[in-house]
Amino acid sequence: MNRLVGARVARINDPRLLTGRGTYVDDISLPGMLHAVMVRASIAHGRVTRFDAAEALADEDVHAVITPEQAMARTRDLPLVWLAPEQRHTHVPVATDEVRYVGQPLGVVVADTRASAEDALDVIDVGYDELDAVVDAEAALADDAPLLYPGWGTNVVASYDIGDTGEEIEPVFAGAAHVVERRLQVQRLAVNPIEPRGLVAQWDAGTESLTVWISTQVSHHIRDHLAIVLGLRADQVRVIARDVGGGFGSKEHLYADEALACLAAMTTGRPVKWIEDRGEHFGATFHARDVVHRARLALDENGRFLAIHSDIVGNCGAHASNVGTGPFRISSIMLPGPYRFERAGTRIRGVVTTTTPTGAMRGFGMQEASWVRERLVDEAARELGADPVELRLRNMLGPEDLPYETRTYQRYDSGDYPEALRRVGAEIDKRSRPSEGRIRRGVGVATHVEFTGLGPSKMQQLVGFHLGGFETGVVRVEPDGSVVVSSGVVGMGQGIETTLAQLAAEQLHVPMSAVTVRLGDTATAPYSASGSIASRSMVVGGGAVVRAGGRLRERLVRIAAHRLEADPGDIEVEEGVFSVKGVPGSSLTLAELAGHAWLGWNLPPGERADLEEKDVHDPENVSYSYASHAAAVAVDLDTGQVRVEDYWVVHDAGTVVNPMIADGQVVGGVAHGIGIALHEEMRYDPAGQPITTSYLDYVMPTAEDIPDMDVSHLCTPAPHIPGGMKGLGEGGTILSPVTVGNAVAAAVPEIAEKLVETPLSPSRMWTLIHEAGLHDEAGPHDDPTSKE
Amino acid sequence: MKPAVFSYLDPRTLEEALDAVGEHGDDASVLAGGQSLVPLLNMRLARPEVVVDINRVPGLDTSRVEAGAVRVGALVRAATVEKDPALADALPVLADAVRHIAHPQIRNRTTIGGNVAHADPSSELPAVLAALDGAVVLRSTAGERTVGWEEFFVSVFTTAREPEELVTEVVFPVRPDLEFRWTEFARHHGDFPVAGICCGLDVEDGVVRAARLAATGVADRPVRLREAETALTDAALGAETARAVGELARRAVDPPSDVHGSGDFRRAVLATLVRRTIETWPDRSQRGRRGAAA
Repeated sequence: MNRLVGARVARINDPRLLTGRGTYVDDISLPGMLHAVMVRASIAHGRVTRFDAAEALADEDVHAVITPEQAMARTRDLPLVWLAPEQRHTHVPVATDEVRYVGQPLGVVVADTRASAEDALDVIDVGYDELDAVVDAEAALADDAPLLYPGWGTNVVASYDIGDTGEEIEPVFAGAAHVVERRLQVQRLAVNPIEPRGLVAQWDAGTESLTVWISTQVSHHIRDHLAIVLGLRADQVRVIARDVGGGFGSKEHLYADEALACLAAMTTGRPVKWIEDRGEHFGATFHARDVVHRARLALDENGRFLAIHSDIVGNCGAHASNVGTGPFRISSIMLPGPYRFERAGTRIRGVVTTTTPTGAMRGFGMQEASWVRERLVDEAARELGADPVELRLRNMLGPEDLPYETRTYQRYDSGDYPEALRRVGAEIDKRSRPSEGRIRRGVGVATHVEFTGLGPSKMQQLVGFHLGGFETGVVRVEPDGSVVVSSGVVGMGQGIETTLAQLAAEQLHVPMSAVTVRLGDTATAPYSASGSIASRSMVVGGGAVVRAGGRLRERLVRIAAHRLEADPGDIEVEEGVFSVKGVPGSSLTLAELAGHAWLGWNLPPGERADLEEKDVHDPENVSYSYASHAAAVAVDLDTGQVRVEDYWVVHDAGTVVNPMIADGQVVGGVAHGIGIALHEEMRYDPAGQPITTSYLDYVMPTAEDIPDMDVSHLCTPAPHIPGGMKGLGEGGTILSPVTVGNAVAAAVPEIAEKLVETPLSPSRMWTLIHEAGLHDEAGPHDDPTSKE
Repeated sequence: MKPAVFSYLDPRTLEEALDAVGEHGDDASVLAGGQSLVPLLNMRLARPEVVVDINRVPGLDTSRVEAGAVRVGALVRAATVEKDPALADALPVLADAVRHIAHPQIRNRTTIGGNVAHADPSSELPAVLAALDGAVVLRSTAGERTVGWEEFFVSVFTTAREPEELVTEVVFPVRPDLEFRWTEFARHHGDFPVAGICCGLDVEDGVVRAARLAATGVADRPVRLREAETALTDAALGAETARAVGELARRAVDPPSDVHGSGDFRRAVLATLVRRTIETWPDRSQRGRRGAAA
């Protein structure tokens, strides 16, 4: 039998994409199409008092300007998907005249060309009554902070505890031999997929139907929410995701501006294209992270972990996003990681501020949890004089402990956590590149368990996540023997088309070239509520394809046995040919079988004619991937520059369907995380104006930051997932920031205690090094000629 | 990101180009490589009424080595300077500095004249001009004048070029007695540097006989670090000198803080660049002075 699962199969989309024959949203052009640009708020907080578009409308190139007033009259509120207990926002308006962040969409201009639409934008006069801004979440908790929603009497949009609460956990800290406490922070990030958001919307007045080509991770979710906000039935809306140039979480819901662009198509009766430009992306697409943890780790006299707790203040931005306090919640449930704790818990406060809302991004809460837990553990090792690897191993759950129920409601499934850590530990033990002069070197490790493959629908109901957690796979053999796989998950560059094809081809014992995978179009794809988020496409969507493909193979074997007058147990399948074992010449090709089957001819009694199987896969649990990483860094004490010189990953994502794609996901994820560790930071001035709105100021990682990596996979199948897969798109990003941070701490132990916040940019590092007195030359503070 | 409406002129001779800038003056922007102007137009941060595209003007795209100077036409591309063997021979530091400007694709368009005329305070070539005591040639319908770097660079994005003038040539004097080096610190190769220096030394038997030191990224325009030059002159190469000169460099500037760091950080990076450049300077005097064989 051909083994496709586990093979390094080339990605089936690449020849098309790499030769410029992909179809991204901006490649779509329809006859009579107009171009939209958004009128966006230029202040952080206030009320729109004037919106004068008369001069813009006087231009003959301009077809429409939708004002905030018109938009409010013609749209309904957008429901939020993940609601925390007693969350004050359950819906947000698509249009409003109340401004709470720079970049908030207020209205739409539609013109013959993008340039004339931007010209019109120039002459639209928007006036405001301005209110005070508040950018920082902790500042927004102050008694005298400006209130975004005065009716609440607070800026806290939701507040709740996870796991063990104060009364249960405080006595453990009080009685502990050793407590490490830090204020740890993860910066605000912009997501920056290479393709910004965008859509083309077409309203057919005859059939009263809306077709939307959009760059999204979640076509059905977009369809359902467009229908709600535009007052349509779901069947009137068709959403199509063609090629998607990356999502990373930023395209996991319907944005207000996307709804407004569709409204513009319905208003003008002409197809409308809206493409977010890069400058716009920094304010219009939801940000991520921006959270402060006051976190504590308690240990007994033997270095055994007793408890971990964090008081989390998360910055939600101007309103709760689609996922609201979800990232802080996921940080909480995954805070214990791979260790035993008697008690573990968090207190969460989600806070609104006059900034772009924060939502999903690769690593969703788990990157923050790893930063907090693994910095605390490293600091404990430093303070106790323990080896960081040994201290971790001493407290780690072993394979014999699994399955294991954590204090934060997780039922870890399978794997060998210590083995992954021992392997990276052995790698760093072998390394002996010393510090030289002003270049310090150090190695660090970190380890985690990851929540992937969201998720059982009933668990999503329990946590207030208003989307189903199942996926449906449809596998069909056409009359000519070609194979079509349909799934509700979306391809966004992660390679899911290839890996679903591998699963189906392996189940049917046909070559890859026989299989086509169709995704992204709500008119043809099976319903997917959650779509391609949360490292679930392969786990949940792939599991459905495994089962549907397996059932279809069994049917084909029965049909072949009937036609070949053999027992089904004697049928062998190889490369699409069904033969009777030991009877040369007694065989049928898949095309021969399928051709008759679709005629309804020569079927065994009781067999259906169609060769299509559908499986609805609602897993009984999420699946828990895990990994250990190690980094070797060099720190220039004089410039503060950190270079990652070597990097090791030992990762377990269950069955690895395509190791080449898996390696790519892990390496890309680590690169993303190195950007978080060293460079990326979305910043605002005190008036709420974003100040990092181009790549001059928002520094992304580049190839020069990324060392060659040593990536290896342990493959412990998920026991409850057909095919055994676990998610792997996020692990690299989750663990790499803290791995780099721990290596930096090892290189410069004098500042280890202060390494509590990323990015470890040259200026932040230089400042910490300087404050630690590690600059031997006369500094500016002892410089008599300094002008400060 | 589409530019506001502008009129577009593409003169075919230098005379036509000078007429165009003469007529439109402050209302015109000159388009050469477009490295800086095109993004500024697209972001509508620049809104000229007229764009004068000089790419089809003949005679501005050549460079020559003559009479102690490398004279580079305003339209010569950065990539050309990077690869031209005659320029590399006459003034290797020019290619060294140019290689730090953006990325190869961009350097295929970037022009030397445009880079200098744009006067970005973190740009490389202005500091090279400062170190070499270079000059910029300006032409208008009224005639031609040559302006020394110190007069030419006025402030951020501001030069002595009058609105009716065109930069036609950039003059990099050759100082065969000095060896020049470019060093910079940037977040990534091709980014604007936090700080960069152009250092020229004449070293004989381990002693500095003459020194030039200019920096970018640490003020509103390129700066010469003259106290540091004085301290270097007649000093012995080595850690002690390097440290003292780095310290003088630090004290010579007072850059503002921005998203990439505080002014103190920039000064410290400058001091480090200076110190390390001097520390690692090879004394070649044992095997003959640079160019002595020619």
